[in-house]
Amino acid sequence: MPYDEKQQSDRPWSPKIVAFVCNWCTYTGADLAGTSRLKMDANVRVIRLACSSRVSPLFIIKAFERGADGVIVSGCHTGDCHYSTGNYYARRRFAILRDLLQFMGVDDDRVTFSWVSASEGNKWQEVVNETTARVRALGALHAPPQEKGGETP
Amino acid sequence: MTQRFLSHADLAALVAAHRRVIAPVRAKDDARQTDYLPIRALADAALGAALPRRSLKEFFLPPTEVLLSYRQTKEGVEIKEVPTQAQPQVILFASPCDAAALEVVDKVMDWEYRDELWFGRREATTIVGLLCSSMDSSCFCSAIGLGPDSPRGSDVLLTPVEGGYLAQVITPKGEALLAHCAAREASAAAVAQAETARQQARKKVENNAPAIPDGFAAWLEENFDHPVWRTMALRCHGCGACAGVCPTCHCFDIVDEHDSSDEGVRRRNWDSCQTAKFTLQASGHNPRQGQSERFRQRIQHKFSIYPKRFGEILCTGCGRCCRVCAGGMDLPEILGGLIALAKKGQGESGQ
Amino acid sequence: MKELQELAAKLLADGAVQVVLGYEEGPRGVRPAFITDPAQAGRLVFDARCVQNLATYLNPRRQHIVQLGKPAVVVKGCDARAIAGLVRERQIARESVVVIAVRCGGVLQRPEENAALSSETTAVRCAGCDAREPRLYDYILGELPPDPPVNASRAEQIAMLEKMTPAQRKGFWDEELSRCILCHACREACPMCFCVQCTAERALPQWIDPSPTLHASRAWQMMRVLHQAGRCVDCLECERACPEDIPLGLFARYISGAVEKRFGYKACDDPAAPAPLGVFSTEDGEEFIR
Repeated sequence: MPYDEKQQSDRPWSPKIVAFVCNWCTYTGADLAGTSRLKMDANVRVIRLACSSRVSPLFIIKAFERGADGVIVSGCHTGDCHYSTGNYYARRRFAILRDLLQFMGVDDDRVTFSWVSASEGNKWQEVVNETTARVRALGALHAPPQEKGGETP
Repeated sequence: MTQRFLSHADLAALVAAHRRVIAPVRAKDDARQTDYLPIRALADAALGAALPRRSLKEFFLPPTEVLLSYRQTKEGVEIKEVPTQAQPQVILFASPCDAAALEVVDKVMDWEYRDELWFGRREATTIVGLLCSSMDSSCFCSAIGLGPDSPRGSDVLLTPVEGGYLAQVITPKGEALLAHCAAREASAAAVAQAETARQQARKKVENNAPAIPDGFAAWLEENFDHPVWRTMALRCHGCGACAGVCPTCHCFDIVDEHDSSDEGVRRRNWDSCQTAKFTLQASGHNPRQGQSERFRQRIQHKFSIYPKRFGEILCTGCGRCCRVCAGGMDLPEILGGLIALAKKGQGESGQ
Repeated sequence: MKELQELAAKLLADGAVQVVLGYEEGPRGVRPAFITDPAQAGRLVFDARCVQNLATYLNPRRQHIVQLGKPAVVVKGCDARAIAGLVRERQIARESVVVIAVRCGGVLQRPEENAALSSETTAVRCAGCDAREPRLYDYILGELPPDPPVNASRAEQIAMLEKMTPAQRKGFWDEELSRCILCHACREACPMCFCVQCTAERALPQWIDPSPTLHASRAWQMMRVLHQAGRCVDCLECERACPEDIPLGLFARYISGAVEKRFGYKACDDPAAPAPLGVFSTEDGEEFIR
């Protein structure tokens, strides 16, 4: 089941945030934040991808399905993509995804898109802390999945 | 079959006396439509409105249900079964085509293996049918040998008469349902009124499709390769909407939903032979490659294979498949064409 | 209409095509027709009840139709957009289909009721139509009728949804999608959903849970709508096909509107126009990116 009821009851709730980051810029920037010992909330699980363009909207949908309360998607600044044009395509895709999430009633504040370069350790710290604070304020996303059809015995 | 009279007040009291009562209710998104939904009082039920969009099937075989849950431990796998005893419920104003369908599907649910989830709910449910008054040109219950007044599948069958309903008690369960209510013996006038209502209802539907003749099931089997199948399903999208709304379609898919931890559930979900992947095998071979083969299967299963195996046509003529079909497939038309071919005695050689 | 019937008969008799996909009278109103015999061309009709998007039948997966031979297909302007989409995405070659376009005066939201066109009966998708004179065709028939009355109910519904809070919107969709049984009729009726293996059918990895629970239904609809962004032709066949009467057309309309607002692109019947999510501009807005 996508909702881990047992875990939830054992510990007080803390936001679970999944971050899909590009290898060349944001991941390196996050690494810099770490080596600089910048203080960050420990709620983010980082998933490293080759490029922000690799992020399919399905990843974000799946992350929310599987228990994430918030999602961060981050890549290189436009013009700096390691693969030249990846983040331009991604930008269009993310824009539409965001519009759809809003239309479905998923709160804007749960998804953060950012461009964080390899030297922007501070910016990564801000993105992480701000997102965690926002998602904490919004609360847990999940109710346990609902059954449909006739009443189960 | 004893006949009693139930006033509107009697029926309202009966509804109030039961914890869970399901009846047709006006749909929120479209007031012309109804759905079978739980009601709290008799006044919530919609009478004389359209046939509910979905059949009663979902109350006995939900679109998705958990069969078991499992957990991997150091010792092995722990399996937790689901309870098969269901909460008692009453289904009020069931359409005769929907009530009959349950008895038809009972046969396969008790074939080689008794489906305890299905029968747990069947045993816990009392069905109060109502003479159908919402027929339209897509209905063809009488062609199947049923009718708007068919008692098949109902424990009590109601026919509207002045001041209330004539109630025919059909099963001991029905008797038990009415035992606590103030139903009186029906007057001769009520009995006559009810008979007139039934005759009028039957007239409305009996000409919608030709009756399924004897030997039709055999003809279908013998003419499995008839050229008519090749062009019958051109407009069918293979979407499976027909199977979803059909009261007798019961195929399901079994999936294991495994969490990333050590737990998971096994579920069964509604499935349809009309979808492209229904018979797709792991090897990549699909014995029913195209929509022609898949649609042929639908007809064969309902009108030949199931009758051969269980003595029942796997259809009750409710017409929902025709109403939802986005491609304009029409079962009475298709059956009419096949019956005409069968009557002409044309086999493989003819066209 | 006579012009259409004569053209169909001629194309079949000359062997220019082997099947004409059009509309005919059925027991429940107008339905798709597959005419292979010139003598049967008289079955073809065209009027405000012809809502179906016949481009769906050109999907190369539909072997039993492909086997019939080269098709001619009767299209309205909106349907022609789907043909352009199929050509654009290399599913069919332009020369493999003969397009018979008909000038359209709007269609009915409920064709089985066969009423006159009014602001209540006109199909919601006809509102704002700029394709009543189709531009993709091999033959174009009919007189251009006057603009149909506008049925604004869909636009009003979207406006109402946009005014809601996110929680209210979620509540709206929770209620609508709770009826979804994941039958995928929306996908099968859609001309632009032609994948041999749908993402929802993948098991390794499994993106969309196959069991019809609310969260899975929501994930399915989101996935399908996102795959349709910039490709959806707004024909609303998805909504018509849904056996649960879920207003899927709201997604179609919304996503088309979002693509138009952001990228200035409207679904069109020019196969050479690129699909918006397959291209980019360095000037695209990024106000939502931190």
